[in-house]
Amino acid sequence: MKKRLYLELENCIGCRSCLAACTQCGGHEERNRNYVYDVNPLVNRQTMPLMCLHCENPACARSCPAQAIQIHETGAVLSALVEKCIGCQNCTIACPYGIPKFDQEQNLMYKCDLCIDRTKDGIPPMCASVCPSNTLQWLTDEEIENKKKQFNLDNGKWVTSMPYLEGETNVKVNLPGILQGITKLF
Amino acid sequence: MQRDKFFKEIENLNHPNEKLIKTHCSYCGMQCGMNLRVNTQTNKIIGVEPRYDWPVTVGKMCPKGVTAYQQTNHKDRLLKPLIRDDASLKGTAEGFREASWEEAYDLIAKKFKELQNEYGKDSLSVFSGVSMTNEKCYLTGKFARVALGTRYIDYNGRFCMSSAAGGFLRSFGVDRGSTLPWTDIHETDCLFIAGSNTAECHPTSMFRIWNVQERGGYIIVVDPRETPIARRADLHLDLKPGTDLALANGIVNQLIEMGYIDEEFINKHTNGFEETKELVKEFTPDYTSMLTGVAPEKIIRAAEIYGKAPNAVVMFARGVEQQHKGVDNVSAYTNMALVTGKIGRPKAGVATFTGQGNGQGGREHGQKSDLLPGYRKITNPKHVEEVCSVWGITPEEMPQPGVSAYEMIELMEQKTIRGLYLLCSNPAVSAPNQNFVRKAFKTLDFMVCSDFYLSESAEFADVVLPAVTWSEDEGTVTNIEGRIIKINKAQEPVGESKPDWQIQVELAERLGKGKYFSHLKTARDVADEFRLATKGGYADYYGATWDKIDKQDGVFWPCKNENDEGTPHMFLDKKFYHPDGKAKICALPYRPPAEEPCEKYPLRLTTGRVVYHYLSGNQTRRIPFLHDMCPEPFVEIHPETASKYNMEHEEKVRLFTRRGEAIYKVKITEAIRKDTVFVPYHFGHEESINLLTIAALDPISRMPEFKACAAQLEKVELKKVQ
Ligand code: SF4
Ligand code: SF4
Ligand code: SF4
Repeated sequence: MKKRLYLELENCIGCRSCLAACTQCGGHEERNRNYVYDVNPLVNRQTMPLMCLHCENPACARSCPAQAIQIHETGAVLSALVEKCIGCQNCTIACPYGIPKFDQEQNLMYKCDLCIDRTKDGIPPMCASVCPSNTLQWLTDEEIENKKKQFNLDNGKWVTSMPYLEGETNVKVNLPGILQGITKLF
Repeated sequence: MQRDKFFKEIENLNHPNEKLIKTHCSYCGMQCGMNLRVNTQTNKIIGVEPRYDWPVTVGKMCPKGVTAYQQTNHKDRLLKPLIRDDASLKGTAEGFREASWEEAYDLIAKKFKELQNEYGKDSLSVFSGVSMTNEKCYLTGKFARVALGTRYIDYNGRFCMSSAAGGFLRSFGVDRGSTLPWTDIHETDCLFIAGSNTAECHPTSMFRIWNVQERGGYIIVVDPRETPIARRADLHLDLKPGTDLALANGIVNQLIEMGYIDEEFINKHTNGFEETKELVKEFTPDYTSMLTGVAPEKIIRAAEIYGKAPNAVVMFARGVEQQHKGVDNVSAYTNMALVTGKIGRPKAGVATFTGQGNGQGGREHGQKSDLLPGYRKITNPKHVEEVCSVWGITPEEMPQPGVSAYEMIELMEQKTIRGLYLLCSNPAVSAPNQNFVRKAFKTLDFMVCSDFYLSESAEFADVVLPAVTWSEDEGTVTNIEGRIIKINKAQEPVGESKPDWQIQVELAERLGKGKYFSHLKTARDVADEFRLATKGGYADYYGATWDKIDKQDGVFWPCKNENDEGTPHMFLDKKFYHPDGKAKICALPYRPPAEEPCEKYPLRLTTGRVVYHYLSGNQTRRIPFLHDMCPEPFVEIHPETASKYNMEHEEKVRLFTRRGEAIYKVKITEAIRKDTVFVPYHFGHEESINLLTIAALDPISRMPEFKACAAQLEKVELKKVQ
């Protein structure tokens, strides 16, 4: 059954375990590929991860003059192919979320490939495996549909992808605010 | 066992030329399951893979756990024993030379014998820790009493779990840190969490905790800081550090006033209610608010939510325990569960977040100055006899009870204690009042330290012995729930390092006590003797064999025999462990912190952890990812307070108390009380916040008051900083 990365931003506790785990993925050369932000550091401890959303029509790949960014059959937008990447950094500018990172020494772009050596066989990516707060989860479409029902808000605040994000994405995102619609037990 | 909705069947990724060794994290009491990746050609640990099939944590790990494997083959590992001949260099990392085990053992045996001949048996001491297996903790207690024959043994749980232990013993007559398994937590209706920065200190509890809110339940958090968990809580009681007892009394008073008590439960299963009712009457919302700084409405609302909840769990951690009334705080919060009868059934109860990996097991089996294996008392002749029969000594040979960790350090300074064998602990960072502690360590005639890195405490030693990490030995650990689990060996010891149990057996032989130790040739030999020694004690591990642990995904103690599956839920029969089977509701008069703010020291200083570091930081500060994320300590200040002192974000300032001072970078955040400053305690030498903390000890647990003392801030000239 196909599973996707699903983000529930309300849950993030800023532990950056996702980043530590990213370095543990076989093909990642011990470099982490995503970001965790302090939303308002002088005020409170809110944090949130910024992960590659694996766009269905990815700006990074579109902008690449060398076709170095391939899209895997699972939908994962892969890291640049070493032999093709010319180091122009178009992709880092094109991505609306600033995801692709650049290695100056190797003159090479690198980005989240959704732990393709795991996810191609249905094993969750490292970040979603370890995330202690369930901010990052690896779910079937049915499970994501259930989440959508569970957190359905009258004010339409429950969000996956559209319209807040740039185009459809393989990763589904649930913005902060999910708890507002919950009916208390007592 | 206990596979719940978070459990998913997932196969692990197996890389070519690698095998996976199932084990648990080396650090905190969560003891998250993990697989260590071992290269089958080099036989070295090279990475980590989630352990999806561990029912408590289902593959999850915090950043400490993810990088824990990097400890084993780290460049800082001690590979050979070290000896320092020039005692004038004590307190520095200088002057050590490598030596053989022979030479190190000979020197230790000679010095230990000399000291004991001249000053008596009790001139030696053992200071140990609970970040190691039950087997090692057990043998350390035996080593002190049988091989050294000294009364002076104690351990770092006095800076960690001893108040929880004292409180539970008084309230329930038994000290198991959690009355229920963690797989119950997300199913309860209300979590009342006091003095626990759970998101940073026990991160892998968080997916269960958040789930309570997703189900429509409530989270109430008590903390002077708006921690990540407090930020999302339904109710945040932002009390002044050190005022928990007043708050707990105030809430119990409201529970009684609003009629949320369970009279039948109180009558049948508890003592002490009337007396407590009388005592807490005084703690009206207004009076409680005056003492704690928490708004009266919030106190009432907390009682209302907790009182109404069909099921609720009261949880706490070092925030309430590391006070000079830590034991009272524990019993006072436990009162909430006892007056409402929300205990002794699934999804309801009381739990403390165990700090160290084996904070639970390590305190039960005889490393504490007055305890013997199986939670037996050294002052109880019957208990002594039972243990003597396993050890093969006579009751007359059993030493008397000693004193607590900090008091041992005082005796070092007074030269009553002249020799120290330190293992699995780093008190030159973690003990309070460091200026005094470091002086006391310098005063020692002879000190041995066993560790796998040269810790700040090892810098005071004459001999340093290279120990193994958790991944190079096997044995059991008792996790946050009271579940006995198995740590497995993934790699042969690095260099000449040895497990502490082996070091103790070999040292005992040098000290002429081989007949009590030489039969212990493997970790499993120690385990078998250990289980036998606990048999019949109330922390009975006899039935918790390694096979059963493996088959059942851990065994909850007590587990008395082969057929006993263990005890995930405590008190299901409503029988408590006091002789009359009843729990005790405790009437506890309020006491303020030992040191209250004054004109000269107007701020309240509190200390704690960050998610990237563990305890004294001796391990985690060496791990590149963790170091990069938090390379140095800081002082957290509210912006209004900072502006009063004219201080800016990231400016270096001087923080000082009556006992010491240090320079820290300012971290401005609104997520802290205006009268409070916070500094994490994971750093050594001149960065250690414990230079400033107070050694006011709890009368029962002998826990120092790390969580509250009076401090002052001052701007520093730039040139002074460099
Ligand atoms: S691991 Fe999860 S909780 Fe931790 S920072 Fe990443 S997304 Fe946030
Ligand atoms: S989020 Fe950015 S990097 Fe990821 S696929 Fe979309 S455009 Fe590319
Ligand atoms: S430090 Fe604690 S929470 Fe983090 S991985 Fe280790 S056991 Fe789990």
